Amino acid sequence: MTAQTGSAIVSIDTLRFEYPGRPVLRGVDLRLKNGELFGLLGPNGAGKSTLIRVLCGRFKAQQGSIQVLGLDPYNSSRARRAIGLVPQQIALYRHLSVLENLVAFARLAGVARHEVRLRAQNTLARCDLKSVADQKVAELSGGWQRRANIACGLVHEPRLLVLDEPTVGIDLPARLEIERLLTRLVADGMTILLISHDLEQVERLADRVGFLIEGQMDRIGPPSELLIEHFQQANEWRVMLERTPDTATVELLERMGLQAEAAAGQLRWTGRVQSDDEASARMQQLKRIAVREWRVRQPGLDSLWRDLFGAALEGEQHS
Amino acid sequence: MIGTVARIMWLGLWRDRGAIVLAFLFPPLLFIVFAEVFSGSTGEGLELNIIVADSANTPLTVELLTAIGEIDGFVLNHLPIESDESVSGDLESVLMESIRRGEADAAIWIRSEPNDDLDAEPPLLVIGDSAKALAAAVVLGRVQALIQQEFPVLGVSRAIALVDVLAGPYTDEQQQLLDELLAELEIESDADEPSMGAGQDGLIAQRMLQSPEGVDDDGGISYYAGAVAILFLLFTSMQGAISLIDERSSGIVDRLLAGPGGASVVVLGKGLFLTLQGLAQVTIIFALAWWMYGIDWPGKFGLWLMTAMVAAASAAWLAMLMASLCSTRQQAQTASAFLVLILSAVGGSMMPRFLMPGWLRDLGWLTPNAWAIEAWQGVFWRGQGASELLLPWLVLGGSALLAMAISLALSTRRSRI
Repeated sequence: MTAQTGSAIVSIDTLRFEYPGRPVLRGVDLRLKNGELFGLLGPNGAGKSTLIRVLCGRFKAQQGSIQVLGLDPYNSSRARRAIGLVPQQIALYRHLSVLENLVAFARLAGVARHEVRLRAQNTLARCDLKSVADQKVAELSGGWQRRANIACGLVHEPRLLVLDEPTVGIDLPARLEIERLLTRLVADGMTILLISHDLEQVERLADRVGFLIEGQMDRIGPPSELLIEHFQQANEWRVMLERTPDTATVELLERMGLQAEAAAGQLRWTGRVQSDDEASARMQQLKRIAVREWRVRQPGLDSLWRDLFGAALEGEQHS
Repeated sequence: MIGTVARIMWLGLWRDRGAIVLAFLFPPLLFIVFAEVFSGSTGEGLELNIIVADSANTPLTVELLTAIGEIDGFVLNHLPIESDESVSGDLESVLMESIRRGEADAAIWIRSEPNDDLDAEPPLLVIGDSAKALAAAVVLGRVQALIQQEFPVLGVSRAIALVDVLAGPYTDEQQQLLDELLAELEIESDADEPSMGAGQDGLIAQRMLQSPEGVDDDGGISYYAGAVAILFLLFTSMQGAISLIDERSSGIVDRLLAGPGGASVVVLGKGLFLTLQGLAQVTIIFALAWWMYGIDWPGKFGLWLMTAMVAAASAAWLAMLMASLCSTRQQAQTASAFLVLILSAVGGSMMPRFLMPGWLRDLGWLTPNAWAIEAWQGVFWRGQGASELLLPWLVLGGSALLAMAISLALSTRRSRI
């Protein structure tokens, strides 16, 4: 079951899956390389959860193929054992301690009885959970619960970790702790499939990302390459207004190539500038409007998201 | 705003068909079942299976048995008389054995012509089961009432004959007066007026079934130990099985399904635990019955254990089936409360089934309660062996296996489309 860094640990070819009368996956192609963190992006309903379920062997591929370490996870328990799933919810036994949860999930993942304690202790150390090992999950803060949630997906030492929104609902320090943990895991050779609507986080952590759009993978690659490919040399220009603009102001902003961000009402506007000169010229035009703040920055995945899915879907990245 | 909150609640109910059924269909259904069960306990609608034997077989005893057969709620089963049985008294053993086996709730044996040998034992014998003492009391009371109303002469003429024997023969004048009095009683009886005070001393005897040798239980302790045990087996199993729904919604099942075991590991593991938990629960109840009331638990341990295992398995897997069918915790909680109440009421955990109407008593055989109670009664009260307990064991074990198979299929279907 060893795989060299860079070789494919997951191979998905023209995968199709549909619920009765509702196609969801329409020919997904994807390779996950050994030791990479791959960010799977896409709006709600794009098929991410279904893809995860097929990957984890819960659903059978109806057409095409999916292989984990060369085996079909639907039919092979060996393939399923190579996967650690960390659901979005805190999928732990709340009345058990962190250590007891680790022992339980190790046994349920098929770890031999004599190895369970050692694996649990190793995982506690790996995830910096030793200080709360004997505390019941129900008594832990949200951040610790999230870390324990990840630890239970790691305890059987899978080759592939599937993380669904691992930092949702926790504060910044806790989020950064988890990001450091994920970085360490990847450095140790773990392959991670990360599903997150926190696009800045994905951009920071992911070696590659891919957008699942209407049941098909689109734009797969390192975030920086995807951004250059899409935006070329353009920078993103973002303007924050003091107050909701009147009709004349809206017309002016639109003539300048700016679009209102749906999540911010009509207070935040975004557009592109190709050069510093263009940015200076635009600033002159803005003097006629009450602007609280404006900034020019390199576009990020959130900018790409807006371009791909439109302003109407923008709110989803924050959901 | 208050209206809005109320409307939200209404929409929540309206869009949950399961909740509508539970809220509006189950309560009246439960009412009907409870009304039938508990109204039966007052005697109205009661249906008692009575085995009868007529050793005298005279026109009077035939008429008496016919009248007994017409008592509302009495279902008579006539035992054919073998001449040697009536002579040797074996018939009483046959009747008792029939009751012990649960084939009848009580027995009536007409041992002789009521107007015959006055020195002999009372001609009517009502045999009851101390585990169903109420049934015997009802039979005795109704037969006495029947004789008072329909056969008043029987008691009086027997008393007159007794005086004739003890105090010497009546004079012709006395005899004539007595005949007139008896004729008068006949007329009053025909006019359907209760004839109070007609003596029945020495006419009817009652005998209660004794426990087998070495058994201290009068039947009631083992009955209620079994009845309470199966009720709480169901109750705690249902509560435990609901954790399946909690784990489904918390993502734990998702995590486990992604592992090598799949859905069957989750369901089988929970079913195993609930069975063992039930076994421990039943052990405590029967240990208490042994310690405090002296039922022969150690002496019947093997048969008890087998019954306890199949009963616990049946309750556990029924609960798992319920949890597999329900989508939400709320649905499961309501359904489990309904199931436990219905099964326990109809199955005899709340009151003995012999006090129920016949159709409800038959319906009781569809519940694990009835089979478990019968099996434990068989072990401790009727002294039955493994061969006689095979049927309840098969029913309870079979129901457990069937519920397990359906639960596994449902859980697999839920997890894999």
